[in-house]
Amino acid sequence: MTPRKVITSSLMLILFSVVFLVYTTRYPIDNWESPGPAVFPLLLGAILLIMATSQFVRALWICHEQPRPAGEKVPWVLAIQRFLKNNQGETKVFYLTVILFLYILLMSWIGFFVCTFLLAIVSSRLMEAKGWVRPIVLSLAICLFCFFLFEAWIKLSFPRGFLF
Amino acid sequence: MSDQGIFSYLLITLQPANVISCFVGALLGTLIGVLPGLGPAAAMALVIPLTLQLGPTAGLIMLAGIYYGSMYGGSTTSILVNVPGEPASVVTTLDGYQMARKGRAGAALAVAAIGSFVAGTFSVIALQFFAPLLARVALEFGPAEYFALTVLGVVLLSNLTGKSRVRSLIMMMAGLILSTVGTDPIGGLERFSFGIDTAQGGISFIAITTGIFGIAEVFELMAAREKPVEILPVKFRELYPNRAEMRRSVAPIARGSVLGFLIGLLPGPAATMASFASYGMERSISKHPEEFGNGAIEGVAGPEAANNAASGGAMIPLLSLGLPFTPATAVLLGGMLLHGITPGPFLLRDRPDVFWGVIGSFYLGNAMLLILNLPLVGIFAKLVRVPSRYLMPIILILCTIGTYGDNGALFDVWVMLGAGVIGYVMRKYGYQPAPLVVGLVLGPMMERSFRQTLIISGGRIESLWEPPICMVIWGVALLAILLPMVIPPIKAGMKGRLQNR
Repeated sequence: MTPRKVITSSLMLILFSVVFLVYTTRYPIDNWESPGPAVFPLLLGAILLIMATSQFVRALWICHEQPRPAGEKVPWVLAIQRFLKNNQGETKVFYLTVILFLYILLMSWIGFFVCTFLLAIVSSRLMEAKGWVRPIVLSLAICLFCFFLFEAWIKLSFPRGFLF
Repeated sequence: MSDQGIFSYLLITLQPANVISCFVGALLGTLIGVLPGLGPAAAMALVIPLTLQLGPTAGLIMLAGIYYGSMYGGSTTSILVNVPGEPASVVTTLDGYQMARKGRAGAALAVAAIGSFVAGTFSVIALQFFAPLLARVALEFGPAEYFALTVLGVVLLSNLTGKSRVRSLIMMMAGLILSTVGTDPIGGLERFSFGIDTAQGGISFIAITTGIFGIAEVFELMAAREKPVEILPVKFRELYPNRAEMRRSVAPIARGSVLGFLIGLLPGPAATMASFASYGMERSISKHPEEFGNGAIEGVAGPEAANNAASGGAMIPLLSLGLPFTPATAVLLGGMLLHGITPGPFLLRDRPDVFWGVIGSFYLGNAMLLILNLPLVGIFAKLVRVPSRYLMPIILILCTIGTYGDNGALFDVWVMLGAGVIGYVMRKYGYQPAPLVVGLVLGPMMERSFRQTLIISGGRIESLWEPPICMVIWGVALLAILLPMVIPPIKAGMKGRLQNR
């Protein structure tokens, strides 16, 4: 892992632990004879803060000692194009996250099985499935399997929407 | 021990529902082991909600079946495709794949299955004797001892992934923090639930594990560029090892069984460590070390036996102390808690049916796996051909159903998605998810024992380390922190001195 990644992640962790510590002060600490509900989370937050800070300082030190690479100057348009080309996988992950977000959001409105049917089609297409027939057949099979196994047999009840 | 005796409890395994659960678990585990990318921890997390319908004994037998079944299945892809199904089978690729290239794929697979069976059975016999012994000692434990034990667990498990100790500790702290969400275990005050009803009972363990293992795994596979894999066909006449191969495998299997079991008792990625240690040992004592890496049967037999024995050994600290030393046993512990079973010294006293039922299922499961693995090798090999574009949507949907089915709450599905995104980012930044799960599991026990100790002693902080057992545990924890700092400079100094001479 590069020092820059360590610094970024450490900063996020420091921010998280500070917010957590501040929020924890809303709960009673009481005393050592009868420690309150805030004591244990406060200890954890403090330890996390110390570890994240030590990791941050160490990464900064390494960064400071390493000579900076002589990078070639690239026009920003080309740099963005290069970034997108090198991170095609991440773009797909982003799309899938958005799809899953919509899936959960629409589940209680459209219904679990209809949403799942659509999710299976869209996600297999996103994963480079060719054509429409196979993804549709796969989605139909998954939905029927889930319906008979989980709802009809195991009696789990899933959100129903206006469609099903 | 109850008046019924061990044997009658072991017979619980033979009840039809338990036999079916054992078979389904072993089969699922083998399939999971065969499929690269989805590990036993993720698979168990997916199946936990299903097992809740089966009751504790059958449910836990199924989860345990997945756990040791995956160790069997992991070798299949290592040998046929050169892609390890799970980390413990990485070392099997070295000689297993070379054997397959020489037309001995069937022999390698059969030796791996036989070695796994022998080692698995050996580890169960040892587990049957050691676990009750350790559990009896642990009955002396009070809150202070439990707190010291959980701290020791955190210290020792900080090396769970074999990567950065600081990052592992950070993840463990994050897991411990997550465990504080919900009702306070002593006073009953609601914490960090932000008024969400579902969060009052704590963050769903299933939502977190399916998110950071299952969903993050799908994201990672999606982001990675797929490379075509060459799958070698297995011919029927190649299925069984010849006499010379069997003779050469006997001693490595025996050594791997003992070594693997002992390593399984230690915290950390036991199965992976055991397979590498066995490979190193076999190579160092072999009369033909030059064959290693070119298709030596000992390079398959030893490590495969070792990783299966280690998975049995890792059950001892889980069942007798309630401490999971591997990611998969951490998920198994979570499953036990969801079934209302608290692993630890009281498990044997309070629920001998579950304790011995699970142990008995290991015998049955090992036999089933041998029967499954030998003739079905060709079918399992075909599973690897299923393209991820069809497999991943199935995993996504199973993750959602598993999470939703736990509480019937949509909030848990949101938590799963959040955990999946965070889990993916964490992996990108070099943070492993397993320590977070350990923290999430150990958190409630740690907080309860910490506060109980202080309340009982009237606020005396010394009571956390004063009892003799606590002193020993704290001493071990201190050594575990100091030794990794002290040993490398000493080793370097000795090496320098030898070079100067």
